[in-house]
Amino acid sequence: MSGNQGSTAPAAGMTASWVAYAAILIVGLLSLFSLYMGFLNYADNTDIALVYLFIGAAGFAAIGYMLFRGKPTTAKTETLVVKKVEVFTTLECPKCQQKRVRDFKRGDYVYKDDEPCTRCDGMMIITKISRKKEEEKKKDESSWL
Amino acid sequence: MILIFGQVLPTQQTDLNVILQTIYSFAFIIYLFYAQKIQTLQMLRQIEVTLRKVKNVKEEARNQTVKTFVEIGKPSGDIAPRVDRFMDFFSIGLENMDPSGIVDKMDHFLKTNKHIYEAEVKALAPNATPTERNNLENLIEVSQALNIYYKVIRHFYLLGKKTMNIYVIMQVHMILPQLIQMVEAYASGIQAFQEGMPIGDSVGAIVAAKLMHGYPQRDIAEEIVAAEVPYEGRTLIVFKAKGPGGSVGNPDEGLINILEERRGKVKIIITVDAAGKLEGEPVGQVSEGIGAAIGGSGKEKFKMEEVTNRHKIPMHAIAIKQGMEHVVAPLIEPLFDATDKAVESVKRIVLDYTEPGDTVIVAGIGNTIGVGQ
Repeated sequence: MSGNQGSTAPAAGMTASWVAYAAILIVGLLSLFSLYMGFLNYADNTDIALVYLFIGAAGFAAIGYMLFRGKPTTAKTETLVVKKVEVFTTLECPKCQQKRVRDFKRGDYVYKDDEPCTRCDGMMIITKISRKKEEEKKKDESSWL
Repeated sequence: MILIFGQVLPTQQTDLNVILQTIYSFAFIIYLFYAQKIQTLQMLRQIEVTLRKVKNVKEEARNQTVKTFVEIGKPSGDIAPRVDRFMDFFSIGLENMDPSGIVDKMDHFLKTNKHIYEAEVKALAPNATPTERNNLENLIEVSQALNIYYKVIRHFYLLGKKTMNIYVIMQVHMILPQLIQMVEAYASGIQAFQEGMPIGDSVGAIVAAKLMHGYPQRDIAEEIVAAEVPYEGRTLIVFKAKGPGGSVGNPDEGLINILEERRGKVKIIITVDAAGKLEGEPVGQVSEGIGAAIGGSGKEKFKMEEVTNRHKIPMHAIAIKQGMEHVVAPLIEPLFDATDKAVESVKRIVLDYTEPGDTVIVAGIGNTIGVGQ
């Protein structure tokens, strides 16, 4: 694209994630094996089984920590798009107070004499231009604030 | 505990235990030395994901800009190369080593900047009306902003990748949520500037428009229109940027001109503008205070403060609170409804702080896109 202006695109390869996920996979497999050994030995040799279980649990805890530590600082990127929203234009007749709401058209502006009133001989004026009301956000834990 | 470990690993020298011991030792050593490296790679990955999305947004904005220029301006040739060149346009900040006189320098700088934008947009969209040209100026500014965000994130990403220095990478990783918020905000402005819809920043202009609609109007400064509105025995001189094109005008010059005309005989000045809300504050909350409610480069605020101080006129401020995501996005209903509350606030301040026969200046600050008068 000509708009790119010779920009260097991010590397196509996934080197960064590959190494990280490979490390997580190895630790995960080892931890799983450790847990398996723990359960296997639990009846015969409880002490050894506990150590296996401890190592397995520690491994999973380490994985959780690795995944979790980077997450809080980043935000969701799903909303990073150029989106179009529905915008409405409200027209009112100053003479007979008739009100009409329609989709926004290019060229509309607040206080524009827009179109003849269908009820009287007056001219309808645009009195409001706004986007559809946002849906009420789900109540979260901080709603008491 | 050590004894228990001893039971598992060294004492029972089965093959399995030797293998396990080796693997655990390796895993421990790898984690000991490479934990930071793994974290660095994770952060790079997160930056890369964001960068890809910002790149898409920036390219979409550029394409929409070209499309709108072609649709509205009907240029004769291919304007894409010129739009691309202008996307990289930059302005060098003023030197403030000796701050004396910097406001006048800023004034000149901003006028030069505006002149360049006007000339470029006129060349790119020769058949656009002045109102449409104002909107197109805003549109290209949004595309430029998105381009800059992309380039800055890309710079830190590539620099971090090159050096693998966690501190370089952390610089951008730490502010990634804020960057995403800013990019999101600009992305939502594309539609508004393409179509000429009122935006969150237009609330100040809407308040002024509601007060001055139906009264004789006149131009009092560059892109500033004013009207004298009688109210309860007082005279309100209401001004705003001249709409409905996307412009903020020069409200400082408007105020100075009115005060010169009235020889400073004004009881109070009320400025109304959009203001950033703190997390937890509702969108559309109307707050009152004192001072000049105006953003921008600071030049306008300085000049307004200077002239009101010279005449010793109190300045009241009305702020309509909104989030960063609302400022350039198409206006949402709670913000439009908040303008009615702000009009009531203006009227109440006038009644509380002035007497019949007084003159009051009301300034509706902000971008007047999609707002007439």
